[in-house]
Amino acid sequence: MSTTRKRVYGYLAEFKSASALYKGAEKIRDAGFKKWDCYSPYPIHGLDGAMGMKRSILPWFVFFGGMTGTATAFALAYSTQVVIYPTIVQAKPANIFTIPAFFPIMFELTILFSGFTVLFGLLALIQLPRLNHPLFASKQFSRATDDGFFIAIEARDSKFSPTETRELLASIGGSSIELVEEED
Amino acid sequence: MAHHHVTSADIAINGDHLDPSKSSKIKKASMIVATLGTILSLYLLFAADEKIRGSFAYSWLFAFYFFITLSIGGVFWTLLHNVSNSSWGTSVRRTFENLGSTFPWMFLFCLPLLFPQVHGYLYEWMNIHDAATGSVKEHLHHVDHLLYNKYWFMNEPFWYGRVAFYFVGLSTVIYGLRKLSTAQDTDPNPGIKRLLTARYHSTYPLIIFALTITFTGFDFLMGLDYKWFSTMWGVYLFAGTALNSMAVIVLVCTWLKSKGHLKHVTTPEHFHIMGKLMFAFTTFWAYIAFSQYFLIWYANISEETSYFATRNTGNWNIAMYFLVFGHFVVPFVVLLQAWLKKNPKLLSVVAVYTLCMHALDHYLITIPERGISLGNIKPDVFGAIQVSIPGAFWGDILAFITIGAAFIFFLLRALGQHSLYPNRDPRILESANISN
Repeated sequence: MSTTRKRVYGYLAEFKSASALYKGAEKIRDAGFKKWDCYSPYPIHGLDGAMGMKRSILPWFVFFGGMTGTATAFALAYSTQVVIYPTIVQAKPANIFTIPAFFPIMFELTILFSGFTVLFGLLALIQLPRLNHPLFASKQFSRATDDGFFIAIEARDSKFSPTETRELLASIGGSSIELVEEED
Repeated sequence: MAHHHVTSADIAINGDHLDPSKSSKIKKASMIVATLGTILSLYLLFAADEKIRGSFAYSWLFAFYFFITLSIGGVFWTLLHNVSNSSWGTSVRRTFENLGSTFPWMFLFCLPLLFPQVHGYLYEWMNIHDAATGSVKEHLHHVDHLLYNKYWFMNEPFWYGRVAFYFVGLSTVIYGLRKLSTAQDTDPNPGIKRLLTARYHSTYPLIIFALTITFTGFDFLMGLDYKWFSTMWGVYLFAGTALNSMAVIVLVCTWLKSKGHLKHVTTPEHFHIMGKLMFAFTTFWAYIAFSQYFLIWYANISEETSYFATRNTGNWNIAMYFLVFGHFVVPFVVLLQAWLKKNPKLLSVVAVYTLCMHALDHYLITIPERGISLGNIKPDVFGAIQVSIPGAFWGDILAFITIGAAFIFFLLRALGQHSLYPNRDPRILESANISN
């Protein structure tokens, strides 16, 4: 007989439609939960507002990532084209005022660095890639990529209670409520 | 978001009409200013001392072209909204149409430019053509080979013909589309027929629009120096046009909302989208302006570089540097903020600012040519070529205020004629509940 105790991830509840999910999210937001998420097969406009999500910090990463790109390109072009090996074409001077010639490079590296910051910053913030997610233990959850709309409230949340949270989910229209336990 | 969900109960059945008491004062004042300014301007254009006539012709051209870009932009946004089949802008579409409907009236301010007494100071090539006693082409063959080669395009009958095309073409387009749109407001059975008709009849007018913005730029502005040419010219003017007509639309919508109109249908989401379009065209303007500069700077052909050589001489140079930062860097950073774009008042501040930059942009397009052309055309009257003509600045302000007041008058007139949003458009609820 196994003596291992499974860790509880939280409650998973299914909702009938995107609008039921939206309305349910508003109720959970107003109930003050913090560690919970919505799962839907497609993006729902305004759901971030209904969930009371704060603005992501990602744009700031991207802004500074982009600025780094601009500065890198300028340093690269300036040091090679002006300091180390000035290339004189059509008697045009090589100095800080030839900066228009560097603009395409500065533009490209700004975009490249911004793009990298978006990709890797996003992956870091949403903690991907990962091998498994506790919710995969639920059989019905696979429908989240097909026709199911789910809300999961984590047990880590300070407002979580085994009975009241289940009642809350049921009262806002959640069905097939199940307590998801992490797999070993 | 926790917006109030707009239903048909929130839509004014008979339309949201501008309260005349709220606009009549501004309308009256702008009409008086425009009338007095026009009388004074006509005197300065046709009857004053030649020195004043010559420099005021440039002031008039600057002001005329500045405001015509805003009108053309109104037509552009109407067309784009229709062809792209978009729903977000239905609640602000009437403002696009009203702005575009000022275009036919701009012909009044084009009229002086059609007279040789005025354009004789602006377009050297016409003077050279006029000097011919017999065949113009034969004359050019002996005098100026460049103009001889360009004769197929740069000849006066064709020039007048093109001007007629611009005003007849785009005026017909906006008149027809606005009539189609406003007729729906009172239709007891508003279906989707007009929507599809508007979409169909907005496709080929986009070509008329593109020809108009490009070739008015060639005929009125690039022609100031017939030796100069730039393949980026049309798209450069278009970038400023799209940006600043959107700025005017933002200002009009904010004003209407502050007067209690556009209730329920125009939300912060709409301002967010309009702000995003302003942001996009700020970047597009910079992209095109830089591309034009870059091509000319790299190729280093003296016919082309003359444009920037002129504008980097004397104090124009400071203004050109200012344009780079003022027209691009500052609005770019400011418009990055999402919260700011959702706030109509703050977005309006940015809109006023970009319009000021647009004025500077067009000032730098037209006015630096004045000292050079006048010195070329009549050195005995205007003296040798100079960087700028002292005191001519006051004429620029007068022309700007005159045509600007008339522009405001015609815009307010259009706003007062019909409902401020298409209240029976099938997409009005979709537009009112938009979320982005």
